[in-house]
Amino acid sequence: MYLPNFEYFQPDSIEETCQLLSQFGSKAKLFAGGTDVIIKMKKELLSPEILVSIEKIDQLKKIEYVPGKGVVIGSGVTHNDLVYSELLHEKYLSISEAARQMANNQVRNLGTVGGNIGSAVPSADLPPILIALGATVKITGVKGDRTMDLEDVFIGPGKTVLAQDEIITEVVIPDQKMTGSNYIKFGLRASGALAVVGVAAAVQVENNAIKEARIVLGAVSPTPVRAKKAEEFLKDKKISDELLAGAGVIASGECVPITDIRASAEYRKDMVRVFTRRALRKAIDEGHA
Amino acid sequence: MSEKHSYVGKNLQRTDVLDKVTGRGKFTADLKFSNMLYGKLIYSTHAHARILNIDTSEAEKLPGIKAIITAKDVPSIRYGLSPARYDENIFCIDTVKFYGDKIGAVCAIDEDTVYEALKLIKVEYEALPAVFTPAEAAAEGAPQIFEEYPRNLNTEIHQHFGDCDKAQEEAYYVRTDRFQGQRTIHGVIEPHCTIAYWEGKRVIVHAAHQSVHYLQHHLARILGMKEGDIRVITPYVGGGFGGKLDVSGLDISAIILSKITGQPVKMAYDLEEVWLNGRGRHGMDMEYTTGVTKEGKILFVKNEIVIDGGAYTGLGIASAYYAGALLTVLYNFDNYKFDAYRYVTNLPPCGAQRGHGQPHPRYAFESHLDHIAEDLGIDPIEIRIINARKSGDVTPNGYELKSYFLKEANELARDASGWKDKKGKMAKGRGIGVGNGGFVSGAGFCQYRTDLPHSIAMIKVYDDGSHAIVYTNAVDIGQGSDTVLRQMAAEGMGYPYDDISIVSHDTDLATLDFGAYASRQTLMAGWAVKRAGEDVKRKILEMAAEMIKVKEDGGYRSGKLMPEELDCREGIVFMKQEPAVKITFAEVARAYFVKNGLLIGRGYYHPGKLGGQHKGAAVGTSPAYSSATQVSEVTVDEETGMVKVLNTWDVHDSGVAINPNLLHGQVHGAFAMGIGETLWEKVMFDEKGKLLNGNYAEYRLPTALDMPPVHSMILDTFEPNGPYGAKEVGEGATTPTLGCVANAVYDATGARVSSLPLTPEKVWRAMKEKREREEK
Amino acid sequence: MLKFVTDKDGVKRYLVSLKVNGNEYTRMVKANSLLVNFLREELDLTGTKKACEQADCGACTVLLDGKPVNSCMILTINADGREVITVEGLATNGKLDILQEKFIEHSAPQCGYCTPGILMSAKALLNRNPHPTEYEVREAIAGNLCRCTGYVNYVKAILDAAENQ
Repeated sequence: MYLPNFEYFQPDSIEETCQLLSQFGSKAKLFAGGTDVIIKMKKELLSPEILVSIEKIDQLKKIEYVPGKGVVIGSGVTHNDLVYSELLHEKYLSISEAARQMANNQVRNLGTVGGNIGSAVPSADLPPILIALGATVKITGVKGDRTMDLEDVFIGPGKTVLAQDEIITEVVIPDQKMTGSNYIKFGLRASGALAVVGVAAAVQVENNAIKEARIVLGAVSPTPVRAKKAEEFLKDKKISDELLAGAGVIASGECVPITDIRASAEYRKDMVRVFTRRALRKAIDEGHA
Repeated sequence: MSEKHSYVGKNLQRTDVLDKVTGRGKFTADLKFSNMLYGKLIYSTHAHARILNIDTSEAEKLPGIKAIITAKDVPSIRYGLSPARYDENIFCIDTVKFYGDKIGAVCAIDEDTVYEALKLIKVEYEALPAVFTPAEAAAEGAPQIFEEYPRNLNTEIHQHFGDCDKAQEEAYYVRTDRFQGQRTIHGVIEPHCTIAYWEGKRVIVHAAHQSVHYLQHHLARILGMKEGDIRVITPYVGGGFGGKLDVSGLDISAIILSKITGQPVKMAYDLEEVWLNGRGRHGMDMEYTTGVTKEGKILFVKNEIVIDGGAYTGLGIASAYYAGALLTVLYNFDNYKFDAYRYVTNLPPCGAQRGHGQPHPRYAFESHLDHIAEDLGIDPIEIRIINARKSGDVTPNGYELKSYFLKEANELARDASGWKDKKGKMAKGRGIGVGNGGFVSGAGFCQYRTDLPHSIAMIKVYDDGSHAIVYTNAVDIGQGSDTVLRQMAAEGMGYPYDDISIVSHDTDLATLDFGAYASRQTLMAGWAVKRAGEDVKRKILEMAAEMIKVKEDGGYRSGKLMPEELDCREGIVFMKQEPAVKITFAEVARAYFVKNGLLIGRGYYHPGKLGGQHKGAAVGTSPAYSSATQVSEVTVDEETGMVKVLNTWDVHDSGVAINPNLLHGQVHGAFAMGIGETLWEKVMFDEKGKLLNGNYAEYRLPTALDMPPVHSMILDTFEPNGPYGAKEVGEGATTPTLGCVANAVYDATGARVSSLPLTPEKVWRAMKEKREREEK
Repeated sequence: MLKFVTDKDGVKRYLVSLKVNGNEYTRMVKANSLLVNFLREELDLTGTKKACEQADCGACTVLLDGKPVNSCMILTINADGREVITVEGLATNGKLDILQEKFIEHSAPQCGYCTPGILMSAKALLNRNPHPTEYEVREAIAGNLCRCTGYVNYVKAILDAAENQ
């Protein structure tokens, strides 16, 4: 395969990165792990003249807990950094486990959190669990920073609210009321398969009832989507198998999947039903594990 | 030396393994030659179209471009496997016949320049209506892809034995089932690559190929050259499975471009191009009607198969015959009707893939047989045992089974898997299934008409007897033939294995062999090297008889020894009656040299005349047939349809295992390929015939996480027609898997998925439809 | 800061220095130079194989700063200042790595095209986790496709190497 040529910039700071992106406009493409960009360039789906790499910006590569803020994950953190993070094992194993199901080991050493969000692939595995945990993102551009809910970042397949000069710099998982969370990926092979359906659930359980629930569906709509009717249905209800099954049925009506070479829309809808129920059960029974 | 053999039956170290674990072993793409150019093929972007114009002018202006060739620059000869179906041109003339058809070739000083040039070549087309399925191809008024194949029917087979209609009247129970097998691809990890350069009137071709001889033979015909003017060398080959057996556009183009430029030219496929031109398994629609007695004895089988051949024939004609040929080998019945229709379509051409033509029909018939057993209330293994052929049988279509132990394979698989405790007694969502298979141990006939032996070997001994080299053009594509052939040569010679090396896959250096296909090398090249070894031994024993001094007063006879009183094992010549009387092979070899010059041994193999007289009788003939039984246990997620294979037992009747480790390795790989094709793999196209999943993300080979434990077992059998009693394993072990896993899924769900692969969605749908039927 | 020169056609070539198998190399490369091609073409380290070129098969796996990655996805510029280990770097002073020894003992490779990649994935695993479970071994090599072996003897060999390192 052929990788067409381009120019390469490797700025040392976020500020400089934004300036370069602003200066070159649509000719430039942000470059992190490269697992998405390089393949798309080889397939001629993307042909940037300039790549602006965040490789040398160490501050984007941290996972840390900031009291009062939450767990802060830099956008340059790789999937395997999430898999092996002791901080996440302690607080949100569900994020580590979601990352562990992505692609394969080699790709997990390259692909980044920022890339998984920024490329806005509908089947991406991290956004559902992060949204379920109420994640916000910090977006930095030449004019400064803005913070928004992760679920509001996505506009459609491959499209986000980010302006040309903006990059995602961090993802923040706020301190939780949710007592459990979980992501189930359903792919057609044990490794190296894109999600046919991905369902993340987070629940706040009190006295064997669901106080609040958040359900996020991946790969079944143009963007990751909250199953808000199902969430509403669960609110303040006593936990039972029937309740969770009911939430699954409602959630399956809240997505608009497509038929593609991996599965039909009809099948995806039914899988949303199944995995919503299973993800809720796991989040209830096993906490954030 | 009390054991019967010194090297046969031993787990000796692979010949190539050090090269492969250190990375120093060279595959074709790893080779570099001085002044080498890089080339690529130009591919069609229409499924069926008339070429109006090819404009290469912009590309030619690119600095570094050395040559661009299209049909006008090359001979217009047509080629293929069988003369009646020579239907492929070097480059498309006038029309393209599938999306990915080859239109021409480019070479330049580096790869980047070649890719840049490809973007600048403008081909103008007039689109033609296209057909993508046999049904479309056969339809009234369908576009004709070739003049010579009316209604696009490329091959028609009617083989009828006995009297099926009469048997049908007499049968206690008759059942008809239909199944669909999908297009799959070999999934070689090494993409095809060829390098060619000229030395005077001769061309040297390094290619990732399964047969140096066939490549040489076909290239000679296509290029109008003498075979001796083409030297073919295959470095290490990164897997074949049938996908590196046809002559490719890379081979032909590299030679022509090298001729034009006077420089070595390297050509390789990108992965997607392997799907387009790699010639994988045919899609098949299969219908079986079988009649049985009350006890489950098969009385007749009517078998109709409709085959999607893709754009050209190549090896596909053999695939069509194989699709029906070998059923009679497994099961004992006299009345058989096999009708097949292979259509050309505007999709990539199909060819040979592990188990050639057979895995889909095995899946279909093994599934069909389970339904018959269920309807009659007979255990699935029992019905297979009732019908299994045995040693000495001759099939109605003319195959003779010298050794055949399918019954014993079923029994061992049944016992090892705990079948009796599991079948019908498992928890909901769990199932167990059985499937039978097997294959030829080499094809009885050459690809082209010839009376040449199928394999020739030579062994040359160093003048001081310290080393020997076995020469053969058997090709080691990973299956381990270099190793087992060394073992058999060493055994035949009575010479240390560690002191024998092998020179193979080079038409100049080594000796005629038809190469790696049809599971032939252990048997056929095995005979040749065994005989070459025995030829050396004969010469050594004759010489030794003259040399050995027998004690006058030692209690045994004085005077001259006869060669037949001697034997040689592991480099020591000794008297059979008095092993203490001995001399080293090396001493004798040196004396032989002094007296006679070069010490060489020669061996050959020809299977003789095999098979019946009917049309197509040649396909499926073989000196020996393997058999195999697999049992698999699965779970099926009743809500999602996801199948997980938990455990598999494979019993192979492959005669004497020359190297048991390598044999088990073949079974492991065959099974992995089999479950891939059963559960995940399918080549897909869009409505315009464009390939959709020419990559390993969307064409899903099993990963290490998908593989269940495989318990591979060998029956202790002996094949009279095989060297040291050996017969095949490599392809036969793939053939039971599809039916076996499909039957286990049926056992778990009670719902039959009648098309491959058994994706979760299809299993989910089958279960849903079953529930809906039951609710009615 | 990357240094570069611009040729007469305006194409930039960047100065990169990287350590491969313990040796320092300094070269000028175009931005689109991929590490797999750099290793194979520039350094003649052809043990690293090229197959799918889309990070699906793992044949081109090398260790980059100790982590297994697909060298078909890595820009050579990105390896500037970093350390690469290829299959040729596994043996030290002619002594094979325990993984190589066990691959030989178990007849693990068949065609051998995926073998270097599997070795590198396994090496990284044992460096990080000296006593892996069978599942962890399978997970570590799940990005390395093999069509010949069903992974059976590879998994055995890696577990055996872990026990005997």
